[in-house]
Amino acid sequence: MSVPILETRKLTKRFGGFLANSEIDFSVAGGEIRGIIGPNGAGKSTFVNLMTGVHPPTSGDVLLSGESVIALEPHEIARKGLVRSFQVARVFGNLTLLDNLLAPHLAQTLGATAHRVGLDKARRLLDLIKLDRLADHPAKALSGGQRVLLQVAAGFMMPSLTCYLLDEPFAGVNPVIKDTLMDLIEAENRAKSVSFVVVSHEMAVMRRLCHKITVLIEGKVVAEGSLDEVAARQDVVRAYLGKGYA
Amino acid sequence: MFTPELFAQALIAGVVIGVIYALMALGITFIYSIVKMINWSMGEFYMIGSYAQYLIVVYLLGPNMWWLAAVLSALSVFLIGWLVEPVLIKPMFTGGIERKDDYATVVTIALLLLLRNLATAISGPYQRTPGTTLGAVMLGPLPESGARFAAFLCALAAIALFYVLLRLSWLGLALRAASQSRVGAQTSGVDVLALDKIAFGIGVGLAGLAGALLAPVFMVYPTNGVVTTTKGFEIIVIGGLGSIPGALIAGVLLGIAESLGSTFIASAYQNAYGFLLLLAVLALRPSGLFGERVRQA
Repeated sequence: MSVPILETRKLTKRFGGFLANSEIDFSVAGGEIRGIIGPNGAGKSTFVNLMTGVHPPTSGDVLLSGESVIALEPHEIARKGLVRSFQVARVFGNLTLLDNLLAPHLAQTLGATAHRVGLDKARRLLDLIKLDRLADHPAKALSGGQRVLLQVAAGFMMPSLTCYLLDEPFAGVNPVIKDTLMDLIEAENRAKSVSFVVVSHEMAVMRRLCHKITVLIEGKVVAEGSLDEVAARQDVVRAYLGKGYA
Repeated sequence: MFTPELFAQALIAGVVIGVIYALMALGITFIYSIVKMINWSMGEFYMIGSYAQYLIVVYLLGPNMWWLAAVLSALSVFLIGWLVEPVLIKPMFTGGIERKDDYATVVTIALLLLLRNLATAISGPYQRTPGTTLGAVMLGPLPESGARFAAFLCALAAIALFYVLLRLSWLGLALRAASQSRVGAQTSGVDVLALDKIAFGIGVGLAGLAGALLAPVFMVYPTNGVVTTTKGFEIIVIGGLGSIPGALIAGVLLGIAESLGSTFIASAYQNAYGFLLLLAVLALRPSGLFGERVRQA
């Protein structure tokens, strides 16, 4: 079996007395689209923060293509190809949409042609997410859903991108934008075999995108499998709906 | 007595000094927008710039090469800032990238005291001047001090260069991105901690340039940065913290207010007119002319 693109080994995070992530073993194959679901407070965002270096873990290890990235700064992890989006879209409000997309591209590639190549790529992406007519507007003019689109597109601008962690990209996004976003993810997955880890509550999205779902409850992995498999599990249903239902 | 000539002269003098004040304010606002803290030791970097100018002009290049001396002085202050940031400022922000500014701000106050007393210990309390060979310039029918006018032109050039760097270079794009969202920039692959060093260096370098340019006008002594720092902060409040056009326009407004006030009311209260302007702006627009209301997350 080939080396997984992304792997965590007994990844643990403690905030004071609260165990947010408990010895999570997790592995994503190259080209896979993995879903992570779990009730609120299950530790999904913490897990993404640990993998991308935004918070240091208490213990455990994160490997990208078999190489530990635990000691690296977030920008170094991003440059190695493990890219993320945030639940609350962190776009650069006063920068134009084009500059928002150019920044991650130029952070990795400099040189005489880098700017033109980046600009071409940025315009293509803006076309794809149907924001091309706003290319020269500041990003703060965008709606919440458009911001999410822009932020996710910015990740695709990173030349090194091999594994993309999307933290709740579909929350509060209208159905049209949701479709655009799923098309974009599937296209990049097929064309460049980029792996994805999608954290979401939207079961319809999960069913369409993800080959395999990991269920996180109270900081632990409790189930892994297809959506139908994990949905049939009594403990998963109980965690979502309360004890009375299962 | 009010005459149109006198008014024009006061106006021009105000714009000239205002642009130089704006250099200082630009430095403060730029450091704030990237490193997210107020640097209270700006005046001391101004002071270092003026001493550097004095030393380079008197011992190395002579007064005719004042412009090269000013560039070298500003570069050395940039270098000092670039070296100081990772040693003194960065360790104050512990625990990740999203940071608290209180400790760092206090450290800059300590740095202010250290540098000022160091200067007194080394050079004594004497006022020095690198001297100038520039004669008075006629602006239309009106005379203006040559050194002041030269400082004005250099300040304009520095501001233009700063603008080009920020708008047209990759470094500028990264700096603008980091000023909007540090975490966002970092997860885009930008080394934000390296940017902090550069931003701090550029910010204090602007103060150093102002010090070097004004060395023949306002003299060189250990506490010469106090007045310009005060003005820098007045400008920031008038223009709005974090706004670069705000710093420029407020700088010119402050210069004009001081100049008109001391010409037509009383020159003894020169420093008070700026504060009156400040109070008026605070009463009408508390976030400054170009300030944005900050939402705390």
